[in-house]
Amino acid sequence: MKNVSKIIPCYAADTSGVCSALYEFGGMTVVHDASGCNSTYSTHDEPRWYDMRSNIYISALTETDAIMGNDEKLIEDIVSAAKDQKPEFIALCGSPMPMMTGFDYEAVARDIQGRTGIPTFGLETNGTHSYIDGASMAFLAVTKEFVRQCPKAEGIGVNIIGATPLDFPWHGTMDSMKQWLSDNGFSFICSLGMGGTLDEIRRAASAKVNLVVSFAGMAAAEYMLENFGINYVCGVPFGKGFGDVLADYIREAAAATDADCVSPYGMSIDDVECGTDTVIIGESISARSLAKALELDMGIGARVVCPLPTDDMLLSENDSELYAEEDIKAYLEREKPRTVIADPLYRYVIPDGTRLTALPHFAFSGRCFQRDMKDLINIDIKEFFK
Amino acid sequence: MIKLAIYGKGGIGKSTCTANLAAAFASLGKRVIQIGCDPKADSTINLLGGTPVTPVMDYMRDRDEEPTSIEEISQVGYGGILCIETGGPTPGLGCAGRGIITTFSLLEELELFEKFKPDVVLYDVLGDVVCGGFAAPIREGYADKVLIVTSGEKMALYAANNINKAVKNFEDRSYAKVRGIIMNRRAVENEEEKVRAFAESAGLDIAADIPRSADIIKYEDMGKTVIEGDPECETAQRFMELAKKLIAEDEAND
Repeated sequence: MKNVSKIIPCYAADTSGVCSALYEFGGMTVVHDASGCNSTYSTHDEPRWYDMRSNIYISALTETDAIMGNDEKLIEDIVSAAKDQKPEFIALCGSPMPMMTGFDYEAVARDIQGRTGIPTFGLETNGTHSYIDGASMAFLAVTKEFVRQCPKAEGIGVNIIGATPLDFPWHGTMDSMKQWLSDNGFSFICSLGMGGTLDEIRRAASAKVNLVVSFAGMAAAEYMLENFGINYVCGVPFGKGFGDVLADYIREAAAATDADCVSPYGMSIDDVECGTDTVIIGESISARSLAKALELDMGIGARVVCPLPTDDMLLSENDSELYAEEDIKAYLEREKPRTVIADPLYRYVIPDGTRLTALPHFAFSGRCFQRDMKDLINIDIKEFFK
Repeated sequence: MIKLAIYGKGGIGKSTCTANLAAAFASLGKRVIQIGCDPKADSTINLLGGTPVTPVMDYMRDRDEEPTSIEEISQVGYGGILCIETGGPTPGLGCAGRGIITTFSLLEELELFEKFKPDVVLYDVLGDVVCGGFAAPIREGYADKVLIVTSGEKMALYAANNINKAVKNFEDRSYAKVRGIIMNRRAVENEEEKVRAFAESAGLDIAADIPRSADIIKYEDMGKTVIEGDPECETAQRFMELAKKLIAEDEAND
């Protein structure tokens, strides 16, 4: 058995990623799954559920429906609910059972769109991939459907791409991001993620730069680069020093005449001494941004262990992509770092003598440590890591 | 690109027809992929001199991991035809239909079409459209057209009718359309009349009429198609005519 987590949990799944990504856009998200499973996607993996309304439905798939391939029942239910709710769009995603029966999401989505006239996406999740994959396909689908060419905004307009409560504290993050943009003379255009509205997203092409804050936003940013010539920069403005660096990259990306992506890591990592004293475990863009922030604000060299989908471009050569508990455990036992910065549940796989600095990650530990999640954007991180 | 799925009752000669059609396309200079979608994994064996290719499911079962290249799960056979078999789980276990979907996803990830750049792709599908997995070859992006193999036998015609109805059920989903029937003769009394009556009632064209021939069995015993074994024989010529007809239609559509 490979990739079995015996001690630590697994990250939120692709279905939760879809629900989280689309939560605030005014659409209707339907998960093809057994009744009762909505609590997984909408409460365990969703801090907004009790405070903010969103149309997230479960198809209540039964054994008989699965055996009979009773797609018509699902289609009629969705069409009926859509007529009542009049959503801006319909997203249909799934779970392991429809995967096993070969449910054709795209074909059913086309059928529903034909009957309702409402844009409908079939997002082929199956509960076995990471939330990054699900959120990524959801952001891409919204981008393809709603973003159209439009005049550029005055100055340097920036979209924030890929922020969800699965990676960032729900309360405060977007305010911090907007304040940081404002402090640096940029104007906020839209958030393709939490805090975003579909009206703002429709004007996303008026931005000069996309700021990708999670790998979940990368596919949408690539699409906007190819189709609207919007450059993108990857990074989260953690701390002061890295916030300044990131702002410079955004200015550079805005001034670039050719459509070419700008990654802060590819351009600056070579001169960084990555020590082994500190290891950060987490989503690639957040973790590498934090590593840069530690280096620039505190002179600490840190390596990243990324247990989630990413691209080599976003990591330094000393970072590692490790997906299995056994590999992460072996890495930490071999490297024996002085400090690991990670979700508190990683405590159980770090070796004796290594200190854990807890940085709760909602996609990993859910609501267990929600109150302790930290907003490190645009602040003096010495306060947190002193 | 010509993308065809071949369906029909079990044992009616789908693999024989598919492999001969693939060989006919190849002998006309086309780059061909044949994908066997049957746990038996014997669709392409007569394009490979009787030596079977490792099915995708066997590869994954034996190694407990996915292949990382097309070469690991394919073999090049007669006329440069790229032969792939989905295979399936151990008989009596698992889900063969899901195996087909998994194989197709894997072939997409491995960029099969982008790398091999085929002119023709043939999907040889097990028996009937029995579940979602066995409908996968007719989904958008895979086969555009379906050929149904039948003889004049009652149960073969019954299966052909079911397949035709199943494909029609998916009309709203932009799936493949039935192109017609391959009449694979089995020396049934009034065979042609029976097949023609069915074709007429279903509104289908008889795309090819394959005579009952000992040549097929003779060359299959040698691990060959009749196209390879005796390209001048009448059976081979019928497959050549079908291939030419389908190429002409494809060129007309372009």
